[in-house]
Amino acid sequence: MNEQLAAAMAAEAAAIYAYGILGVHLAAAAQVNEARAAETAHRGRRDYLLGKLDQPEAAPAAYELPFPVTDPATALKLAVHVEDGVAQAWRPVLGVSQGPDREAALAALTDAAVRASRWRRIASITPWTMPYPGKAS
Amino acid sequence: MVLTGPVRTTGTGPTRRQLLGAGLAVSTLAGCGVFENKPAPAATTAPDPLQPLLDEALALAAAYDRAVAAKPMLSARLAPLAADHRVHAADLAKLIGTPSASAAPSGPVVENASADPVAALRTAELAAQKTAVAACLAAPPDRAGMVGSIAACRATHAEALR
Repeated sequence: MNEQLAAAMAAEAAAIYAYGILGVHLAAAAQVNEARAAETAHRGRRDYLLGKLDQPEAAPAAYELPFPVTDPATALKLAVHVEDGVAQAWRPVLGVSQGPDREAALAALTDAAVRASRWRRIASITPWTMPYPGKAS
Repeated sequence: MVLTGPVRTTGTGPTRRQLLGAGLAVSTLAGCGVFENKPAPAATTAPDPLQPLLDEALALAAAYDRAVAAKPMLSARLAPLAADHRVHAADLAKLIGTPSASAAPSGPVVENASADPVAALRTAELAAQKTAVAACLAAPPDRAGMVGSIAACRATHAEALR
């Protein structure tokens, strides 16, 4: 399970970094609040994983973004990208965990999927949903 | 357990021909009382644990169809969600090994004759999410990912119906 949890950890750390970048470019107050809440949620998951991992690796200081983030539209696009990625990182944990650990992984996957849908809706990216959140496409 | 499968598949018990065809092994085992004591598992196959999830997916898809039929202006919003459920139903049927349209869905009846069909569908999605969460937690490792994604999908539907 450690390998899968480490991957989830890397995704959560990247998400925290991404929200720090994209939050600056959001204009609407409601969206800024949404981004702050999301970042807090990802910090909570990172802390949970820190307690689970035997030897957690330090997160990189910076990441290469998949595309330049320069305005609200690209900021929202990055938020969608990040949440999809976090969902994909948590799904493999389901098959290697049981009981409360699997429940926590499913909650993390579900929360990321719900946020991804919310960002798609805000950014008018259709469809808002997909049949299998977390499944690598 | 060793022989009951191939011998008793019809649900009416082995015919004389089948018993004879099975040969020596059957007669020796019959002598040990295997056939008297062990009911044939094939005759009363327990439904797959994911059958309720499949039934629910079909019931939800049908509920979306009824909502769109009643209020066609909702089609753009609801049709993609119905499509997700149909993908689940088809994949679950494949996994379980039953044709998905074999029986009328025995899942929950989604009440959407109300004034607000979207709110009724949202309530149904949240209930269906709970079913899927329970199924995921009980699933063997090779099914946990798929069932977990179905649970997450139902949660995103509830979000999309807010």
